[in-house]
Amino acid sequence: MSRLSQNPLRDPRDRRLPRVPEPCALVVFGVTGDLARKKLIPAVYDLANRGLLPPGFVLMGFARRDWGDGDFEQVAREAAKQGARTEFRDEVWQRLAEATKFIPGSFDDDQAFDQLAQSLKDLDASHGTGGNAAFYLSIPPSAFPTVLKQMERTGMANNVETNSWRRVVVEKPFGHDLASAIELNKLVDDVFTAQDVFRIDHYLGKETVQNLLALRFANELFEPIWNSHHIDSVQITMAEDVGIGSRAGFYEGTGAARDVLQNHLLQLLALTAMDEPVNFDAAELRTEKRKVLGATQLPKDLARYAVRGQYDQGWLAGERVKGYLAEEGVAPKSRTETFAAVRLDVDTRRWAGVPFYLRTGKRLPRRVTEIGIIFRKPPFLPFAHSDTEELGANQLVVRVQPDEGLTLRFGSKVPGTTMEVRDVAMDFLYGEAFTENSPEAYERLLLDVLLGDASLFPQNEEVEQSWRIIDPIEEFWASGRRPELYRAGEWGPRGADEMLARDGRTWRRP
Amino acid sequence: MTALWDTSGSAVIKALAAERRQAGSVSSGLALTLVAVVDERLVTEAEQAATHAAAQHPCRLLVVVRRRPDSPEPRLDAEVSVGGRLGPGEAIVMRMYGRLALHAESVVLPLLAPDAPVVTWWFGDPPHLIAHDPLGVIAGRRITDTMAGADPIASLGRRADDYAPGDTDLAWTRTTLWRGLCASAFDSLHGPVHTLTVSGEPNNPSRALLAGWLKSRLGVNVALEDTRGPGVTGVEMQVGADTVTITRSDGRTATLSRTGHPDRAMPLPRRELGDLLAEELRRLDADETFAEALEATTGTSGLSLRPPNRAHIWQDPALDADPDPALTTT
Repeated sequence: MSRLSQNPLRDPRDRRLPRVPEPCALVVFGVTGDLARKKLIPAVYDLANRGLLPPGFVLMGFARRDWGDGDFEQVAREAAKQGARTEFRDEVWQRLAEATKFIPGSFDDDQAFDQLAQSLKDLDASHGTGGNAAFYLSIPPSAFPTVLKQMERTGMANNVETNSWRRVVVEKPFGHDLASAIELNKLVDDVFTAQDVFRIDHYLGKETVQNLLALRFANELFEPIWNSHHIDSVQITMAEDVGIGSRAGFYEGTGAARDVLQNHLLQLLALTAMDEPVNFDAAELRTEKRKVLGATQLPKDLARYAVRGQYDQGWLAGERVKGYLAEEGVAPKSRTETFAAVRLDVDTRRWAGVPFYLRTGKRLPRRVTEIGIIFRKPPFLPFAHSDTEELGANQLVVRVQPDEGLTLRFGSKVPGTTMEVRDVAMDFLYGEAFTENSPEAYERLLLDVLLGDASLFPQNEEVEQSWRIIDPIEEFWASGRRPELYRAGEWGPRGADEMLARDGRTWRRP
Repeated sequence: MTALWDTSGSAVIKALAAERRQAGSVSSGLALTLVAVVDERLVTEAEQAATHAAAQHPCRLLVVVRRRPDSPEPRLDAEVSVGGRLGPGEAIVMRMYGRLALHAESVVLPLLAPDAPVVTWWFGDPPHLIAHDPLGVIAGRRITDTMAGADPIASLGRRADDYAPGDTDLAWTRTTLWRGLCASAFDSLHGPVHTLTVSGEPNNPSRALLAGWLKSRLGVNVALEDTRGPGVTGVEMQVGADTVTITRSDGRTATLSRTGHPDRAMPLPRRELGDLLAEELRRLDADETFAEALEATTGTSGLSLRPPNRAHIWQDPALDADPDPALTTT
């Protein structure tokens, strides 16, 4: 922020000028991986194409390949061409290509890291990066300790020693339980200062998720009824139609709860339930999220309110798909869950008595993420019972993806001579009412890292809070029965429906 | 698409409603209404640009073409399309003949999207006084293009005299990429500002506005250097011990040089009209930075303090010695 106030050409009222980071290098470890090729490199290209990268920007790859700068540039070019959201323009890529470097080496190769540290110094002279660098760890968590130790050894993580900023970006999973998360946080925070660590939860980069804050705190309409007096329950769903694909190695030891529930769904819960922050600084936002996560409680009876499932073979979108156990690389008697549904309660004055139902799963009928706020039924209806038979509860649905937007459902009179009331929907579709294309989540988050804006990144304490919530569920499941099977293409196992039926509710069909 | 010949405003409203029903987009959200005031010769170009901008900003596009003011019979021809050749939104192209051209607002007012902002864009020589054109009076934001006039620098002075908050000019939009580069360069510059030079074509209004902006932000006089263009060709800044120059002679790629640093090439294209228009539609409130840059360029002051609303000033181009170009038609 200080940079903005120092530069007389940057005026907060001047919103045409984009936020452009200082000159810097982005160093991607594991640059040959899926994430780097499908998301990161296209995001870098899109940023460049939108003119959001500084003149002195360098993209650096580090991986165990016998490549030169040119080989890497070729691969990156292909990746950008395929994955970019914006039009691919040769002249933009040409500028980026001139600032593309590759350093071959394995993570335990001292020499390669020495070379990297030297390159970062040299880049200041050759490209004017000012020594600034962000390290993106797109690598398996098992490789973290080695890489971080190397960074510590070479001093490349040190802001003071390098007289510049050095930041690190970590992808999920942030550990696999509370103990491992604490260990990982300690490891990273030892090498980098805590404020220079950016944990990416790409859901928080989505426009609709940020809009949730605007919706709640910029309007007079919603916040007064955003509490247990008017809200009956909240349903947060993240459904995927795909199976585990080739990720069996990772997924077998993880499962749906650790993969999705612990991070994405709990973050969505926190943003839905949190109180108004004092302002939108990273620290204030985190304070409010931390309070909510701290107040979030598991139900006492986990057998009734924590359901897990595993997909069986079935038909999805007109195609026959394998069951989880038949997927390649999955143990024949695997107990890993591909579906998880839990009820959580937020013990605060605002939310007491309002259950939050969270569910996620693979091989569900369609890919959709949404937050459904289900309102209470009116205490009294001055209509004949038969007139309002088809009237449901009012709902406000935040569609995170796809068709980003909002839906408000309420009752309306059916045209005709009788007083019949039925549910109708009022829709706000992002793509229709605005204007700019929403940037990809990675684009936004990468830019925030380079700008040093941490408001959309969960902090270590939030991560630890989330594990505190998830751990008991995992323990309970580990000692219990096998996950309940559900047919691929169904909305999860019967147990999930029974869980809500017990509370006299049903899942919304997203 | 519905084409209506020698029609009335009410028939156009009905045709729009019918087109909307047919397209099934009755509930579609409209961010704004864009009124484009265009000369017949430029209609195709304006339509292309507006279609491009409308793809990014869902809007109702009303193209108004004023024709043959001397024609004895007033007449309205209209083409109504929803999701047709003019992009995904709703578009109406209207040709107004005879005296109707002076009362275009009578057709346009009922066609504005309810409670959505109105933006009026003159494509061609900008009006002398925006208040002369009722289509400018009803708009919350008004886009002119001094570059399109015969004498752009004089036109810029007229814009300052006529300015009201909510006015903007495409010559200013053309400076955005330049301003972004200057601001990034300044991020790493320290110390007092010694000299500033902006070079470009002598009659280029963007060069004047870019210099005005630098002057208003840095409080230092800016020297102007004439080159053969195209457009703005360079900025030189001597700040502290550093000299930074940004040069662009081919209208496409800029070179950034700084003492003690290697040269860097960056794309800096002259943007298409549609892109410029899309940038303008992105914000719908008054642009104070533009007002300050315009003040510094033209030596005026207090532009932001003027009332944002105008009252219509009647001018009959047939009787006036100096008819306003917005009302003169072909």
